[in-house]
Amino acid sequence: MTSRIALYATLITAALPGSLLAEEKIDFAREVLPILSNKCFACHGPDTKKAKDLRLDSYAAAIKDRKGTSAIDPDDLEGSELIFRIHDEDDPMPPEEDGKPLTAAEKETLTKWVKQGGKYASHWSFIPPRKEKNAPKTNAIDFYIEARHQQHKPAISFAPKADLPVLARRAALVLTGLPPEPKILDPLLSDQSPEAYQKFIDALLSSSHYGEHQARYWLDAVRYGDTHGLHLDNRRGIFPYRDWVVRAFNENLPLDDFITWQLAGDLLPNPTTTQKIATGFVRMNPTTSEGGAIAAEFQAKNTFDRTETFGTVMLGMTFTCCRCHTHKYDPITHDEYFSLFAFFNSTADQPMDGNKYDHGPVIKAPANPGEWKLLQAFENKKNDAPNPAASFTTTTLIAQELPKPRVTKVLQRGEYHSPSGEALTPNIPAVMGTLPNDAPRNRLGLAQWLTSDDQPLVARVLVNRMWQRIFGYGLVRTPEDFGLQGEQPTHPELLDWLAVELQEKNWDLKHLLRLMVSSRTFQQSSKRRGDLDDPQNRFFAQGPAFRLDAEVIRDIGLWSSGLLDPTMGGEGVKPYQPAGLWKTLMHPASNTKNYVADKGAKLYRRSLYVYWKRTSPHPMMTLFDAPNREASCVKRSRTSTALQSLALFNETQRIEMGRKLAERIITSAPDDKERLDHLYKLLACRPARDRERTVCLKLLQDLTKRYQSAPADAQALLTAGEAPIDDALPAAQLAAWAQVVTTVLASDIALAVF
Amino acid sequence: MNPLRDYELNLTRRQLFGRGALGLGTATMAQLLGSEALAQTPASPDGLHHPAKAKRVIYLFMSGGPSQQDMWDHKPKMREMFGKDLPEHVRDGQRITGMTAGQKKLPLCPSKYDFQKYDNNDQGVWVSELLPHTAKVAKELCVVHSTFTEAINHDPAVTYIQTGSQIPGRPSLGSWLSYGLGRMNEDLPGYVVMHAKTNFGEQSLFNRLWGPGFLSSEHQGVLLRSQGDPVLYLNNPKGVSRTDRRAQLNALAALDETQHDQFGDPEILARIKQHEMAYRMQTSVPELMDLSDEKDATFTLYGEEARKAGTFAACCLNARRLAERGVRNIQIFHRGWDAHGNLPKEHESQCKDIDQACAALITDLKDRGLLDDTLVVWGGEFGRTAYCQGKLTEKNYGRDHHPRCFTTWMAGGGIKPGITYGRTDDYGYNIVQADGTPMASQPDKDSWTPGSVHIHDLNATILHLLGIDHQKLTYRYQGRDFRLTDIHGHVIKDILL
Repeated sequence: MTSRIALYATLITAALPGSLLAEEKIDFAREVLPILSNKCFACHGPDTKKAKDLRLDSYAAAIKDRKGTSAIDPDDLEGSELIFRIHDEDDPMPPEEDGKPLTAAEKETLTKWVKQGGKYASHWSFIPPRKEKNAPKTNAIDFYIEARHQQHKPAISFAPKADLPVLARRAALVLTGLPPEPKILDPLLSDQSPEAYQKFIDALLSSSHYGEHQARYWLDAVRYGDTHGLHLDNRRGIFPYRDWVVRAFNENLPLDDFITWQLAGDLLPNPTTTQKIATGFVRMNPTTSEGGAIAAEFQAKNTFDRTETFGTVMLGMTFTCCRCHTHKYDPITHDEYFSLFAFFNSTADQPMDGNKYDHGPVIKAPANPGEWKLLQAFENKKNDAPNPAASFTTTTLIAQELPKPRVTKVLQRGEYHSPSGEALTPNIPAVMGTLPNDAPRNRLGLAQWLTSDDQPLVARVLVNRMWQRIFGYGLVRTPEDFGLQGEQPTHPELLDWLAVELQEKNWDLKHLLRLMVSSRTFQQSSKRRGDLDDPQNRFFAQGPAFRLDAEVIRDIGLWSSGLLDPTMGGEGVKPYQPAGLWKTLMHPASNTKNYVADKGAKLYRRSLYVYWKRTSPHPMMTLFDAPNREASCVKRSRTSTALQSLALFNETQRIEMGRKLAERIITSAPDDKERLDHLYKLLACRPARDRERTVCLKLLQDLTKRYQSAPADAQALLTAGEAPIDDALPAAQLAAWAQVVTTVLASDIALAVF
Repeated sequence: MNPLRDYELNLTRRQLFGRGALGLGTATMAQLLGSEALAQTPASPDGLHHPAKAKRVIYLFMSGGPSQQDMWDHKPKMREMFGKDLPEHVRDGQRITGMTAGQKKLPLCPSKYDFQKYDNNDQGVWVSELLPHTAKVAKELCVVHSTFTEAINHDPAVTYIQTGSQIPGRPSLGSWLSYGLGRMNEDLPGYVVMHAKTNFGEQSLFNRLWGPGFLSSEHQGVLLRSQGDPVLYLNNPKGVSRTDRRAQLNALAALDETQHDQFGDPEILARIKQHEMAYRMQTSVPELMDLSDEKDATFTLYGEEARKAGTFAACCLNARRLAERGVRNIQIFHRGWDAHGNLPKEHESQCKDIDQACAALITDLKDRGLLDDTLVVWGGEFGRTAYCQGKLTEKNYGRDHHPRCFTTWMAGGGIKPGITYGRTDDYGYNIVQADGTPMASQPDKDSWTPGSVHIHDLNATILHLLGIDHQKLTYRYQGRDFRLTDIHGHVIKDILL
């Protein structure tokens, strides 16, 4: 045990900034500020109350004379009080009882920094990103990844390129959430040229499955749900927003428009129906209409939620702390929080939702692809048809501004009944810049600021989450926090390059994704390397490897078995679910207390469209780490649990997929070897390996015998699910193959990117 | 080369770094170094930060807000005040819910039930006739009359007491315990949640109440259900035998090993392990649920209701069986306590559901030597008002939500048995000092006032008994070290052994 602890100690020390750069100039933002934030600001940070107390969050404060000494003494740097106190063994800073002592390396970093002048600089993410002059013009990814390989001891290089089938599968999964269709896979495998790979990528990016897959991450971030989320958790009519997100990604709507429409589509001049639908973003917070609830309280709570989710989604910043007081770590004051809050405090929706599906304001919105087509044609003026909106068969929640804004004041301690001070004008935190001069003081002005050239955070936050989708982990490993307490980017220059590239190329998401999947970095083999001590792949010196999300796991099964219904959009669908899950939780008056599974094709739609009841999402989602969407989620956990294993083998739809996929492969070829190759081709883009073949055919043989001797069991197994059974196939053969397929669908090739 | 061993080391290292920014709580370090992944031994039963008095907790959660006025908090002087308006000085600016805010009058409503004083190990405890069985185990209970909260509606209040925040998004108490303590039995889930049947399913429950929030989703509570599979997807589909599954799992392990040979992803080995655990759960859960080994005396004790799956009594019996099997973290949700009107009819039925089984659980645990290290907690998200909602008669009345005081009780696991803690005024409206005089100022969560138990204090005390310092069990998320008790919480030392 001792040696193990020692090992960790070594690793921890090695990971500390500063210790590797002994004689170099200390970089304040990268090395010092995280220490000050984590270890000192709790008492000496931006929220320090009394004027006489020491603050360490600015140079001016740190050099202030305090009874003859100062934390940093510009005239006698070595004699600075800060150096003395952090080394004071009798009365050290931070105090022992706080339980956050400085490590030796941290003391060294602070000391060197003070001795070098103790100068301050802005936190990295508050400075607008710039491209370095020496960066490659077209694709800088490999340049920066390779540069950092030199910092690994010993220096390393890229891993070899992944096998083409592995790469094809990987690219298809990260871009579309499904394995590649044979019609695009086969040309790639037979050609193998870089051009063929680009064509393959283009095909993926133009598939409608692309938008469905990318939308899903956005829906996690904005906490999309089909119910209100609180108390009765009744139905909420807002799925046209979800469908708009899918369409926006498929049409590659520039991300600056994508953001602007969502935040402020209603405030654009002559907004289109589509732009108004996009404002569902503002309405996405959970709401209540619980008997006895106080409207003023929920006006505040709803707006807290909107403000803070806006912070996470757009800025990668957490504002929750400053709901009650000035932020302890980040330079954001209590007043500034409420100035930001003021942008969201004047929407026309009543704070209590009335438990209504169409809690206003709502507009008529397309309920299906046909209606979307009409709307699009109208808005693009492709025909002279009248506005089709009147004929639309559903409604959706939208944002709308009150004619006269609500008065916003600071709420003391974040309590709705304790407003104080003057009425606030909507504004952004000063540390992030200033609103453009001509920007209106409303959500539209906020959007104009977000998408302006010098906005420091938005582009970085967005490209980081793109990187995370493609590589499994972000360049900033805390995508939810770009503040002082968040992690530093592993490749800051690359993050900045990508952010600026996004802005320069008209916020073109597909362009950025194409750069990523075309990089050597992406195309590396993910085989673990013996020469690399990097279990989290922070050097990106091996290809991405991670467990797939719940939705993708289910969709792979539906797709490969031929069950997948490609219909897009519409009201959330309800696949099989064990009886009683909703009923045991719900208030008798709730209109989501009864789960009635759909029939027919809706059972087999992509998981993106599965009905999202926020107080009880589908267990096949939550068992595989989907969030409940009551709060924003920009990074899911990835667990392995026994309950997942049970679900993979026993859930009705899994059994049904196993059977249908078995039917598909049995009828595809005359002998078992070819059938198995077909199965592996679908799931892994290659034929079965020898060992896989031996194992599967042995299992097939055993189970065939077993089901031949127990025909009733075979029949019983085959009746799971609604999909019709192919009676032409011998039941024992089908049952045995079904179980083999279920097993393969539970194996790594159907669960992970590798 | 031992791939599983490599995996374990890798995993541990990965988790260490995965917590981010070196912000490792003691919890995480202890959990990792002591975890089964490395040492193949259960997480330390000795507590995380100090020796644990309780190895496990059974939390009987009464959702809806049981009426302390009619069950535990005896207010004889209220009899003389029947129908009189609640004095303004008693209400003292207290906000009241939209349901009674419009009433012209807030008529005081004494309980119609008789109270009797039962011996405990101190001054005795008054218990109403609604709880004859529970009264008999008074010597084991610590009855807290001064629990309080700020939330006045169900959703925020129940979310608050179970997650430490009124707004959704935080991990539940049970998930924090799972994160901090790991589990003792590898063949059963570490955190089990049951939903008991009720005749008045008035209030909604939410997955978030046993959900992991921002903790890893492996810490979410596992529902032990009375309908269908006891654990979701536990049973093989029709036509698949245990032998078939064994063959599948053997094949699966071989397939995954070839994949591991190819790519070396340690996660693959983690999954193989979980498949095996699932296979074991397929026998350990049915064994747990099979009551045929229970003697008749069990059903005399818990009542015949305990034979019916899903009743509160059956859930309590399951709780004891889970406790025996080393499950640390057991929660039963019983709904239907939200008696805005017809309180007598509803509470009589509700109390009948729970009374005998609560007493039986305490007695049973004690008889088996488990009570000493099992903490049992009983309570709801808030209390009910001293005044009547709707029409007041001698026989029938309703009560609105009341956050300023409510009764919870605890037993076993290091709690002083047979005491009461905290007092309320003659109206059962405000918490008062030990001698009955009003507290100088209302207690609030920011500074602890002796005699009061904010729900953060309650949670801090629960964690303390399980060997956890509520200030040290933290998780870094969005740049902040989050705690169950936020920046509040005070361990109520007066009620500890």
